[in-house]
Amino acid sequence: MSTSLPLSSSSLSQNASRQQHRVLMVSDFFYPNFGGVENHIYYLSQCLLRRGHKVVVMTHAYGGRCGVRYMTNGLKVYYVPRLPFLMQNTLPTLYGTFPIIRNILIREGITVVHGHQAFSTLCHEALLHARTMGYKVVFTDHSLYGFADLGSIHMNKVLQFTLADVHETICVSHTSKENTVLRSGLPPQKVFVIPNAVDTAMFKPNPSARPSDEVVIVVISRLVYRKGADLLVEVIPEICRLFSNVRFLVGGDGPKRVRLEEMREKHSLQERVEMLGAVPHTQVQSVLVRGHIFLNSSLTEAFCIAILEAASCGLLTVSTRVGGVPEEFHMQWKITLDVKLEK
Amino acid sequence: MERYSYLCEQSDERGFPTVNTHRVIVNRGSKLRARISYLLPLALVLAPTYSLLFSAFPVALGFQWLVLICGLFLLVLQRNGVEEEAVVVMPTFGVQLETTYFSGKVHRQFVPLKHILAAVINEAVTPTSCYYYLALLVRDDSKLILAFKEVRPPLHMLVPIWRALREAIGNK
Repeated sequence: MSTSLPLSSSSLSQNASRQQHRVLMVSDFFYPNFGGVENHIYYLSQCLLRRGHKVVVMTHAYGGRCGVRYMTNGLKVYYVPRLPFLMQNTLPTLYGTFPIIRNILIREGITVVHGHQAFSTLCHEALLHARTMGYKVVFTDHSLYGFADLGSIHMNKVLQFTLADVHETICVSHTSKENTVLRSGLPPQKVFVIPNAVDTAMFKPNPSARPSDEVVIVVISRLVYRKGADLLVEVIPEICRLFSNVRFLVGGDGPKRVRLEEMREKHSLQERVEMLGAVPHTQVQSVLVRGHIFLNSSLTEAFCIAILEAASCGLLTVSTRVGGVPEEFHMQWKITLDVKLEK
Repeated sequence: MERYSYLCEQSDERGFPTVNTHRVIVNRGSKLRARISYLLPLALVLAPTYSLLFSAFPVALGFQWLVLICGLFLLVLQRNGVEEEAVVVMPTFGVQLETTYFSGKVHRQFVPLKHILAAVINEAVTPTSCYYYLALLVRDDSKLILAFKEVRPPLHMLVPIWRALREAIGNK
């Protein structure tokens, strides 16, 4: 009976702690774009730099931001000007990225290539070319994907090609591992599960910031369909009607913000629901400590870092029971609700 | 074989401060090869034109037209080959950027020392490649003046030239 740890930790062997690696992180998703994958890549790079390895990040150009940039601790980022395609991805030309990838791999003296996110075309191409040239390759999958719609079917096929020859694969939760294994046909023994983490030094609780006479519920997320913004539109008026001492604090921006504003107008909840707009990541902690409860309404989530950040700040978290969320805490720290909306 | 070679010359003239010339020379295989690749499109255009105009060889006319069009295409695409590029640093005067072509033509650009703010080495990323370049930041112009426009010498050649430029600019 195989254990949950992969039996062959081939490439990153015992000597890895003594040997300095030069890692190339490849993904379409990096700063200035904001999200879980971007944060993960950045924090992982910082931790690797602190251990003495060298890290280079490769991503596509964002608007005018093109060329080479240096971030904290000497993290070098290449913003490569490739044609944008769909949802922040570069146009997938199978051999089009080969010259620039080879150039970067050779001039930086890379030893390990680490690709992030299955939906990133740049990642797949980089892993393919790196493997052709004989480099060591690691892949991390961050999200859950379906099997039935057109985009997913194509992406899963590409994933099968890429993961057929990868040295190690990492998933962020056991649910995500199941999903990746089913989509790519990898043997489950080969996949590591390494959950995401938060920087607890940055997310400290502050009980004095909370009001004592009323209950404040905080919601911070991108207001898109996938994060359950529609659920929020239904749930907020109900809660405000049932409990008179409850206030909402909604941070974040997105296409569904208009719907939330409309809901606010319709039920005259201007005093009970405060819309903060886009909250920069540095200010998230100051918003979180103002509340008692954190509400996460996403429809799908491989591993929700927002819940971890909220728990680190001492909030009670309420979330939809999807994806990797049930794995995140023991029972006493969370309550999950199976929500069915009656229209 | 190295593509570029680097040469640094000093002029000793009594009474004047030493003028340093930093040359980057393109190594071509042999003069004969360069001459042939220069004359090939011309030959490709002239031969079919002659045979078509005067109906000298009425065989495979399609092929002759094809050769003619290829020759014209190559002729249009052909650019003047660069023999060497040089940066002449004249302390207290300025910097002169020279480009010498195979045909013997020399293009010179002088930048007075008063206009130069700094010399920088930066990395450029294109959709297919990534390289280092040496540029001069000038007053009153948002554009950088490239020290080596046609030629792309490697970093270990650019660094001594950058140091020499920095010294010259720093001692304004």
